[in-house]
Amino acid sequence: MALDDKIREALARVAKAPIPTDREASLFDTGVIDSFDLVDFVADLEKEFQVKVPDNDLHPSKFESLARIAAYLSSQGAS
Amino acid sequence: MSALAGFGHFLPDGVLSNETLAAEFHVTPDWIVSMCGIQTRRVVAAEETVCDLAERAATACLQDAGMTPDKLGAIIACTGTPHRQFPGVSAEVQKRLNAPGIPAFDLHLASISGLFGVALADRMCEQWGPTLVVAAETMTRVLAQEPRVKETAILFGDGAGACLVTPGDAPLAIRDICVASDATFSEALRMDFGSTFQMDGRTIILHAARKLARAVAELLEKNSLRVDQVSLFLFHQANLRLLERLMKELQIDPHQCFINGDKYGNTSSASWLIAASEAKAAGLLRPGMKVVIAAFGAGLSWGAALVEVVSLVSKTGF
Repeated sequence: MALDDKIREALARVAKAPIPTDREASLFDTGVIDSFDLVDFVADLEKEFQVKVPDNDLHPSKFESLARIAAYLSSQGAS
Repeated sequence: MSALAGFGHFLPDGVLSNETLAAEFHVTPDWIVSMCGIQTRRVVAAEETVCDLAERAATACLQDAGMTPDKLGAIIACTGTPHRQFPGVSAEVQKRLNAPGIPAFDLHLASISGLFGVALADRMCEQWGPTLVVAAETMTRVLAQEPRVKETAILFGDGAGACLVTPGDAPLAIRDICVASDATFSEALRMDFGSTFQMDGRTIILHAARKLARAVAELLEKNSLRVDQVSLFLFHQANLRLLERLMKELQIDPHQCFINGDKYGNTSSASWLIAASEAKAAGLLRPGMKVVIAAFGAGLSWGAALVEVVSLVSKTGF
């Protein structure tokens, strides 16, 4: 499964609104997740992709959109 | 070894309801509850100051501990909303209590100040003697400045809490206390000179959720305790949704967690001290109980403490 598809699958577990097709769309502005969902979503990503998001990387901007999540996870060695 | 020998708190009479805030921000009261779980907050009167709140909580605390101000060894005032840059709230409290000749100073770390104050007092009270830690906040006054932002205006309330830290191990022995700071995202929670309170809620919730859970888990592991062996958790009442998440992650049963943030909102540095004072007054602290305190605030800073109710020596019911 492609990285984007796996991210969408994880996102679907916490999403409150339809996940946008636009990879650059903000997941916050489109109502897909809020601050508290983000906590669960990051924990889910860590488990799903077997990566550790260090405290220094724990910033909403890294999880703002599908494109940014994919870029961050790729930088952490996820595929 | 040191102990918590008494608690006190004071809440102003004014009440700020969700209905009032909902009308101002064109949202519904239900939306406010869904965001933070808060129903009402207390608000200072126009003539009240942060020093008034601090004095009332400090006096209640000393009364609870059965101690007179002349026996104090130090005063630590904790606030993110001082009435002026200096001298601080501690100086005014010292003057009003008539306790001259002892160290009195302020800690400005917003919501974590109270726990940092206790951590410092825990280390220093053998040398200083009984140390009053008093936390007071007039958050609604700060948040009254324009531009008002609904996400912060709905969260905060005013109030004060205090505890007395004494050498010895009774009535509430401080078994362990850990505090830490990491300034990587310090800008996410700040109040600049001449500016209103600023909070990047998403960043703060991400870090508070992770660091509070980690601090509590590490504290328990270090002291060979399981969650179910803790009788009471006293968390900083930041946001009830955050507390619900913490309880879920740490597998804390709701009956183990003292909640009063629904009534008072987030009173910043004072919140867990008000909770402790109310828990004690309600007879929830009984000998043999282990209590965990945890808080998060500016810096970013966080911490957790383990205390054990050792005895029933206080005149007011320990």
